Amino acid sequence: MDTQWPRWEVFKQDTPAKPHQAVGSVHAADPFHALLTARNVFARRPQAVSMWVAPASAIFSVTQEELAEGQEPKPPAPDPRPSTFYVFRKTSHKRSMTFVDYVGELEAASPQQALELARQRFTDAEALAWWVVPASSVTKSENSPETVESWFAPAKDKTYKQQSYYGVVGSHVSKFKRPRGEDDE
Amino acid sequence: MPRKFGKPTDPDYEARLAEFEARIARGEKIEPGDWMPEEYRRQLVRMISQHAHSEVVGMLPEGAWITRAPSLKRKMILIAKVQDEAGHGQYLYHAAETLGVTREEMLEALLSGKAKYSSIFNYPTLTWADIGTIGWLVDGAAIKNQTMLAQCSYGPYSRAMVRICAEETFHHKQGKEMVITYAKGTPKQRAMAQDAINRWWWPALMMLGPHDSDSPNTPTLVKWGVKTKTNDEVRQEFINEHAPEILEAGLTLPDPDLRYDEATGNWVHGPINWDEFWAVVNGNGPMNKERLEARRRAHAEGAWVREALAVYAARKQQTAVAV
Amino acid sequence: MNEQVKQALIAKLTALADDELILAHRDSEWTGHGPILEEDIALANIAQDELGHATVWYGLRSALDGSDPDRLAFFRDAGEFRNCEFVELPRGDWAFTMLRQYLFDVYEALWLSAAARSTYSPLAEAAAKVVREERFHLQHTQAWVERLGLGTEESRRRIQAALDEQWGYAQQLFVPLPDEALLVAEGIVPDLAEVKEAWLERTTEHLRKSGLELPLQPGYQPASRQMHTEHLWSLLAEMQSTARWDAEAKVW
Repeated sequence: MDTQWPRWEVFKQDTPAKPHQAVGSVHAADPFHALLTARNVFARRPQAVSMWVAPASAIFSVTQEELAEGQEPKPPAPDPRPSTFYVFRKTSHKRSMTFVDYVGELEAASPQQALELARQRFTDAEALAWWVVPASSVTKSENSPETVESWFAPAKDKTYKQQSYYGVVGSHVSKFKRPRGEDDE
Repeated sequence: MPRKFGKPTDPDYEARLAEFEARIARGEKIEPGDWMPEEYRRQLVRMISQHAHSEVVGMLPEGAWITRAPSLKRKMILIAKVQDEAGHGQYLYHAAETLGVTREEMLEALLSGKAKYSSIFNYPTLTWADIGTIGWLVDGAAIKNQTMLAQCSYGPYSRAMVRICAEETFHHKQGKEMVITYAKGTPKQRAMAQDAINRWWWPALMMLGPHDSDSPNTPTLVKWGVKTKTNDEVRQEFINEHAPEILEAGLTLPDPDLRYDEATGNWVHGPINWDEFWAVVNGNGPMNKERLEARRRAHAEGAWVREALAVYAARKQQTAVAV
Repeated sequence: MNEQVKQALIAKLTALADDELILAHRDSEWTGHGPILEEDIALANIAQDELGHATVWYGLRSALDGSDPDRLAFFRDAGEFRNCEFVELPRGDWAFTMLRQYLFDVYEALWLSAAARSTYSPLAEAAAKVVREERFHLQHTQAWVERLGLGTEESRRRIQAALDEQWGYAQQLFVPLPDEALLVAEGIVPDLAEVKEAWLERTTEHLRKSGLELPLQPGYQPASRQMHTEHLWSLLAEMQSTARWDAEAKVW
């Protein structure tokens, strides 16, 4: 029986002033391996200053539509102990590059309660979808300057991955035509 | 992930479908968890997984030249490019996974030969100039499609495409730069570049898909905002952009009927050999067997590695629970 | 810098660059053939980084003697390469590749950290920059060694076999070049004996923690970078085939 390993959602922070955003997922075997993998997959180019990963199976996701219809799904493996939850929210259907962004953390006795509290607390914008994740399921890259330098800074020097590196092709193609009558060397 | 896929037999199907189509008409993105017709999901899974497989199989013809790249710079660029293709496959498998299909299922479909992938990768890469030509023509054609799909109504597919387009632009430019450099290089370099253009031009036109009259899915996909242009429209854009550039570089194109039409502003091409296209799609291209075999071998040789990490992770988790 | 020191530094930079180039070649052979998509991406990162380091070292040499890095890479014969035999060995299975990369990464991270204090400022600056990405590699390959060592019976057997085969070859990383003592005396490069001590301590601890046994017999230990395995000729024949196909070509 083949395994492609579990799926982990990846949250990338582009600059210290921006929230962590869900950017996609990776397949990896364990939490630290998932974090290493996320760096390899999502920081091939700048920008990033921090990454979080969480097993897809630990995420409680609910849409506005589901809440309106009272069809809220069951959260994965409810943990009866009160604990910290991270809350992510999607606020726009309009553009492509918007999905769920981190809005904050709160203490709750269950994912459902965390969702209820989040709906009361984070009211500055309409939420089209919520993700609630137990903090204990999230693995984070270190914030030390050494780690940030080692994990995220080198991509800035890999300029050959940027189209601007090939600026020469931006000029008119005729520039490269061989003048007539010039013999080959 | 998505829980609601509507079927025409559902009592509220018509009402929900109208609502869904109205959302698309308003330019809203459909996200995982939102209601969608089962047929929309089915078409997306088909397209996205084929697209993912194409990226992964597409690593092979170019990857084979990494160890033979003629300069340190070209070697670096090529590793980064083939790596991006793995990354694009990765983004796309993720987009398909949000529709409730697993990576295991998709790989099984690829390795068993059930799933399709872009026919272009069943052609061999015979010389180093093929690497530049693939970047210029094949990635050039792919970008045309991908730019359109970046507008797609399904959020995760559209996001994958936005990222992919940004990265593909580098692939296209490095290829173009390489071919133009060789076109004005030594006689051997120029002959190699011309030969590569001759071999890749028609397959590049074919990879944009059959004529609209032979593409039964297109009208529905356009209505649901998955595609915003037809195959023939995208193909025409590709030719209009690339034909003059290749000619200006001092190279020729292997189509005696190719001409610029003043009236429409289009470059008109000669007949495409669709028999060849269907032969390759149906498994009878020059490299179909080799490509699948290479994927199967890597998958089989990696089985013990995947198992080892799964066992390690399970043991770690047990220990953590025990503590 | 007197001529003798300069020549010694050119030789050292060449050896450093050749190690990275040949290792990058072996790593890049995996591109498209990794055990899972994500690891294909990861190893391609490592291959790019090592190739980038080769370019850095060839570049520093070029600043000293005006040599062309591409000529060095693509137009020297096997007998002129100065890489260690360790990096030439065929890529083997995933355990072989990960272990080699790990043993090399520990060495490189230690060497670079020390070289960042070089009295030759171009080298010090380059080392300080390169060591950043090397630290990330090391975390990655270290994680792999532990997971394969403590995974299944098969993975442990495979990585142990790789260790038995590689341990002797890896020691060549610490054999100084004939005139390297001159550079050490000037504070230009770190003393390999000190690097080796730290390397042994670090690798031994991690390999044991990963359930592996150090070979009692280190086996064959190459001593001169003038010597190569039977694999280098074929590797170069492939690597240099396009560049040499049209010797007239001025630009690739």
